[in-house]
Amino acid sequence: MKINRRKLLSLLGMSGALLSGAPLEAEQKKKNAQGGAGSEPKITAVSPKGTPPAVSLFAMAPRLETLDGKTIYMVDTGFFGGDMLLQEIQAWFQQNMPSVKTVFRKKAGPYAEDDPKLWAEIKANGNATIMAIGH
Amino acid sequence: MEKMGVPAAALITKAYVDLAKATAARRGMPLERITFTLHPVWGKTPAELAAMIRGPDPVTGKPMMKEITDALTVPLSAEEQKTGTQSITAGAPRFGPDTADNLQELFMNNGMTDYLPVILPTEQKIQAMLKGTSHSPDEVLRKPIQGVGYESAQWGYTVRQVAVNAVMSGCRPEYFPVILALASVGQLGLFGSTTSSSTSIVINGPIRDKLNMNYGLGALSPFAQSNATIGRSWTLMGKNLTPGGIPGDTYQGGQGNNLDYNNLVIAEDEKNSPWTPLHVQLGFKPEESVVSIFGGPDVRQGHGARGAGVAENAMFDEQISFMFGSLVGDGALVICDPLVAKRLVEQGYDTKEKLIDWLWKNTVRTAKDFRESFLAYVHLYPLALQGREPYATWYKLADSTLVPFFPRASDINFVVCGGQANAFFQVANMRHGRSASIDKWM
Repeated sequence: MKINRRKLLSLLGMSGALLSGAPLEAEQKKKNAQGGAGSEPKITAVSPKGTPPAVSLFAMAPRLETLDGKTIYMVDTGFFGGDMLLQEIQAWFQQNMPSVKTVFRKKAGPYAEDDPKLWAEIKANGNATIMAIGH
Repeated sequence: MEKMGVPAAALITKAYVDLAKATAARRGMPLERITFTLHPVWGKTPAELAAMIRGPDPVTGKPMMKEITDALTVPLSAEEQKTGTQSITAGAPRFGPDTADNLQELFMNNGMTDYLPVILPTEQKIQAMLKGTSHSPDEVLRKPIQGVGYESAQWGYTVRQVAVNAVMSGCRPEYFPVILALASVGQLGLFGSTTSSSTSIVINGPIRDKLNMNYGLGALSPFAQSNATIGRSWTLMGKNLTPGGIPGDTYQGGQGNNLDYNNLVIAEDEKNSPWTPLHVQLGFKPEESVVSIFGGPDVRQGHGARGAGVAENAMFDEQISFMFGSLVGDGALVICDPLVAKRLVEQGYDTKEKLIDWLWKNTVRTAKDFRESFLAYVHLYPLALQGREPYATWYKLADSTLVPFFPRASDINFVVCGGQANAFFQVANMRHGRSASIDKWM
């Protein structure tokens, strides 16, 4: 529930000036100086935001015509259960698309960082990758 | 992988829809092909996982495996092949003219505050804040960089932009060098981890007295403007100077953390501490003023009066070992009241190093327990795969071999503050990140 303290004081028969502790005369003088009785002063505030970077877009990799006979790397980024989920996906391929070869790898290094060694291996030996998982 | 020409399908749990899409966009691939699963996947049996992948994507409703195979084979649309540069705006540079009440509402409703009233950053107040440093308002503390780090996009900021946040936090101009030093360390407040990790800000050197910082009675409570507003600024900067603190996007802390309101500001009581101050341990000169950042999930409290009532009761040793054994982070910041520190000196720990060495060697667990810990599974095993020590070795040890709780003794730090009213200490489950000179920003 929002409580407007000035309104509350007004209902109690008191002036909102009590909130600032300023004498009534001083408040009135201030109001008059700012354009007449009853008008609240208006101010301009500066944005606290930083400066975002421009985003360079890049084209996604061309897709495969078919997965038949292709090698797909299953990359576990390290969160709980990602390895088990990818192993079930491997089992699905074995059952439903047996011509697809799957290779399981756990990514080395912190989860938000690249693993250049693994990326090079996939580029050299794989055709596609499935990466999991955000928790 | 996409950049290397290898088609990829991303699998993410449905708890992170906004984060996944925003991250993809910030990294330059706004139409990344993402398949979502139920959340969480951990703790599920193989049969449950098998059923999950044979079911629908809980976000799109499409069969999950069809979506994954399509992601790798359906030709790209023109939009997916688009290149070029997209500019992003941080919004209006100014707000108003309007009444103070309306501007307070506007700032709050646009996620620019901590939901407490702020000092509205007028040009006049910003100019006054800028007088607190000799540095140019246009000096860049951090350049904007696309697609790096946890937040996927690191925004840039200048001295002036930091000043706006310092004003909002209620800082006086004389605090501004501390705020600039904080802003210079890179990572700002409201770290977005699901662990709800927060921060502790430790301040050493002469600046503590110049700013009337409280390191005595109630040092960690709201009894000094400098302690209160410096800590608050870290969170406001995290919300505003970077795209941090957006729940569901850049902020994923499950329970959140009440420490985020003040970030556990600690001015070390160098006068009443029997030990070397933290900044000197870290290689700074005693006469330098320094800010140090620690990060981690929580703080716990213990009593440190060995022999208080029961002469044989080694309370500090027992309690701190117990506390260390239940930490989940990879470091500890022990905050001792001077009474505890002095008692520890009487017990022979006349330097922090001696005490840290004892704790490091005597707080151990089995290699099996280490390997089964949350931190090891997600964060440290991947480092072992890279051959980083000691983790690479610890993953080869027999299950029963004892290993230190922390990889290095330097992951344990001690600071002293408090009013000597009782012999309490607190252990922040936090690791030292970076330290920065405050003097540089005078």
